[in-house]
Amino acid sequence: MIDEDVAFRVIGEALSRGGDFADLFAERRRGCSLRLEEEKVEDNTSGSEIGAGVRVMRGESVAYAYTNDISEASLMETARVAAAASRGGGRATVDLEMPVSSLPRLEEHPVELDTDDFPREEKIDLLRRADQAARETGAHIAQVVVMLGDSRQEIFVVNSLGELVRDERVRVRMVVQVVAARDGEIQTGHETPGMLAGYELFRHFPPEEAGRIAAAQALTMLDARPAPSGPMAVVIANGTGGVLFHEACGHSLEADAVYKKASVFMGKMGEKVASPLVNAYDDATLTNRWGSFSYDDEGVRAARTPLIEEGVLRSFINDRKRSLRDGVAATGNGRRQSYRFVPVPRMTNTYIEIGGSKKEEIISDTPLGLYALKLGGGEVNPVTGDFIFAITEGYMIRGGEVAEPVKGATLIGNGPRVLQDIDAVADDLDFDTGMCGKDGQAVPVCTGQPTLRVRELVVGGTTEVM
Amino acid sequence: MERRKDLRELALEWVQRGRPLVGAGVELEIFVQEHRGLTVKAFGGEVEGLRYSHSRGVGVRALREGRLGYSYCTGLGWEDVKTAVEVAAANSLFSTADEYNLLPGGSEYTGEDLCIYDPETEETDSLRKVEMALELERLTLSRDPRVSQVETAVYADTVAHVAVASTAGVAGNYRSSDCYCYVFPIAREGDEYQTGFSFDLGVRPSDLDLGQVAAEASERALCLLGSRSMPSRRTTLVLDSFVAAEFLGMLAAALSAEAVLKGRSFLAGKVGETIAAPTVSIIDDGLLRGAPSTAPFDDEGVPSQRKELIGGGVLNGYLHNTYTAARSGTASTGNASRGSFRDRPRVGASNMFLQPGRGGREEIMRQVGEGVLVLQVVGAHAGANPVSGEISLGALGLQIENGAPVRPLREITLAGKALDFLRGIVAIGEDLRFLPFEGSLGAPTVAIADVMVAGRG
Repeated sequence: MIDEDVAFRVIGEALSRGGDFADLFAERRRGCSLRLEEEKVEDNTSGSEIGAGVRVMRGESVAYAYTNDISEASLMETARVAAAASRGGGRATVDLEMPVSSLPRLEEHPVELDTDDFPREEKIDLLRRADQAARETGAHIAQVVVMLGDSRQEIFVVNSLGELVRDERVRVRMVVQVVAARDGEIQTGHETPGMLAGYELFRHFPPEEAGRIAAAQALTMLDARPAPSGPMAVVIANGTGGVLFHEACGHSLEADAVYKKASVFMGKMGEKVASPLVNAYDDATLTNRWGSFSYDDEGVRAARTPLIEEGVLRSFINDRKRSLRDGVAATGNGRRQSYRFVPVPRMTNTYIEIGGSKKEEIISDTPLGLYALKLGGGEVNPVTGDFIFAITEGYMIRGGEVAEPVKGATLIGNGPRVLQDIDAVADDLDFDTGMCGKDGQAVPVCTGQPTLRVRELVVGGTTEVM
Repeated sequence: MERRKDLRELALEWVQRGRPLVGAGVELEIFVQEHRGLTVKAFGGEVEGLRYSHSRGVGVRALREGRLGYSYCTGLGWEDVKTAVEVAAANSLFSTADEYNLLPGGSEYTGEDLCIYDPETEETDSLRKVEMALELERLTLSRDPRVSQVETAVYADTVAHVAVASTAGVAGNYRSSDCYCYVFPIAREGDEYQTGFSFDLGVRPSDLDLGQVAAEASERALCLLGSRSMPSRRTTLVLDSFVAAEFLGMLAAALSAEAVLKGRSFLAGKVGETIAAPTVSIIDDGLLRGAPSTAPFDDEGVPSQRKELIGGGVLNGYLHNTYTAARSGTASTGNASRGSFRDRPRVGASNMFLQPGRGGREEIMRQVGEGVLVLQVVGAHAGANPVSGEISLGALGLQIENGAPVRPLREITLAGKALDFLRGIVAIGEDLRFLPFEGSLGAPTVAIADVMVAGRG
């Protein structure tokens, strides 16, 4: 994509007015997206994008400039802008170690059915299969939207430490949204299979299954009664439930939040922050998972990072900047949406590890509570740890059995407090895919957990508990 | 690189060069977008980050007898655009024909000055902009010793140049400049932390009132210190204008004719019906002078306009682009909208606002007597569903007793149906304010009666 000699000259220019560290990130991305709605293929888009950005770090300050033109002249100009913006002066404060060690290209996330070779007709067939399966699930399906997207991103990273990384990431994801309607009542369901892989995704997750799951959710919720409000035991199902840990704890473990004293976990390293049943990891090395990669967007090798082990805080989620500034290990979590953005510490595949209980035992051991089968989005205040989550598919638990579905329920609480209040963890770990937003950037992530129970959480609903 | 050429001329030229490539049966539209901008983030008295952006992109829409193909590329060279034209035309072969897929015809655009561009934005020295971010942080920290730090203080601007041209006769371009600043202070007392937020926006750096932003952001954090939950009950909500504007975002999604036609809106089939209190009027105005989403034309080249979507509580109509208008047998309202050159035009609000009434926030709290003043809602993305119309959100705010705020509240939720919220509106203030995030949504303080607020205690 960019000649090595050119890249070194760009780094040299970037540090020509001082700085502690500089890097060049370039990418070429091409992708295709299709959308089926009302049983019509209404959108069929493909495109390509090229861009590169130069970053200069000086103490805590970062200057960044990017361009869509990756010619040498343009990259040098971009480096000059970044250098001038870093408000340096005098000579470079680091010695450039050029030429470099090129890090090995890894083939640890194999692609079987390549996005470039997969025929358009077959992609359309996948959309139709998901659509049809959803429509056949029940009589009250009002609308089905199926979106399918694939992308191939080639990245090129060179930095002033003399490291050079080239990598390629192929991703495929399907989003199914179903609307069910009956007697003026409208409910929605969705399902989102995705992998860091090619179209073999659908061998693991058949499109029919995605369609049926989304449809079943919407149909079930048509029969739901308004959720009760008040504190109660909450059993959170495996898979999508992991979004709660991601939002309510994961973001507070990101090192930039900790550095800014905007994290509830600040100063708690090595301390007990959760129930001893809780083991949590961030792991970008999981083969072909949606949030995985071989190198992060700063050229750092992907890793499996223990966040919490037996309830004790073990590590934060670091990027290059925090690693260089604080002398801690880079955990391979420096990520960005694209060349247009500065990388920041981000989660990858974040999950709570399995425990010793069985899902059935946990439910039968709960006299009255809420079973949150599917969580929607949520938001958290990283400073306080306070969070709120929408339950998109939920049921009451009565007498140790899953009872009627409830709608309009939210979970409201505090991340660290919930971690302490987890009193049972099952052995059925599962993952869900998502696009995580932070600082205006979206990156692919997986959230995961086994079925677990929180002793008590406030449920926000519209009625009293009956 | 043909940078000196006007983007409109460039778009027209590409339409002409693209036409023979795709053949007579295919209509072509070229959308060109160029952005230059600067973002400065201050933290701890230093420049935490400085980002210069410069991006260029082209989106190509091809229509082959009702079948839509789309492609995009970065860079403004003909070779890149040529590939995108060919790919868009090829993609159209795989889409389903839809007779309402049409390109709009050419139109005259307003010659009035919409006050959306000022060269001052580009001409202002970067160092001055850096100083503004640092000053915003400094001013915020100087308000009160309990404001212990600022999570981030930002100055940002963008100068955009947009052009669209098509084989159907559209040809237009415009320049716009946007500047904004915002700050997230953290207030601390004992072990408790609260975050605040405020912003300002304009078309030139000198529009921004840093002192006012610092004061308001600090106040919004400070007033929440000492908060706790409250017992569940039905009560009157007073939504602060920031929060009311977030609710308006849900309404904007439900007012999209695309959502309505496809059964994804709780407002489908309700034109002519009273859906809100009689004091409620909601307007979308793409020509509102100096507003963030103002432009002479929408993202497919249809002239922008002002329309009253809800008047006196009655739903008058929806937001349309050319496709939804053709399918509904009406005219486009100039609401074609795309995220960027990477996307085909869909439907979106321009500057949508709730028509202001009388009185400020204090006066409305006096009218209400007892209730909850809502200053922040959390979970709006998942908790305000424009398809089902169901609302379930976390909130922070102040309890109102005897017409005045008395105690800060946290860990409470608001729940109900959007239509009940709209019909339950009992007062609308005069303090209209536009929120620039996710479109341009404006609302004054709003009071809503009889809403379920859940908490503990």
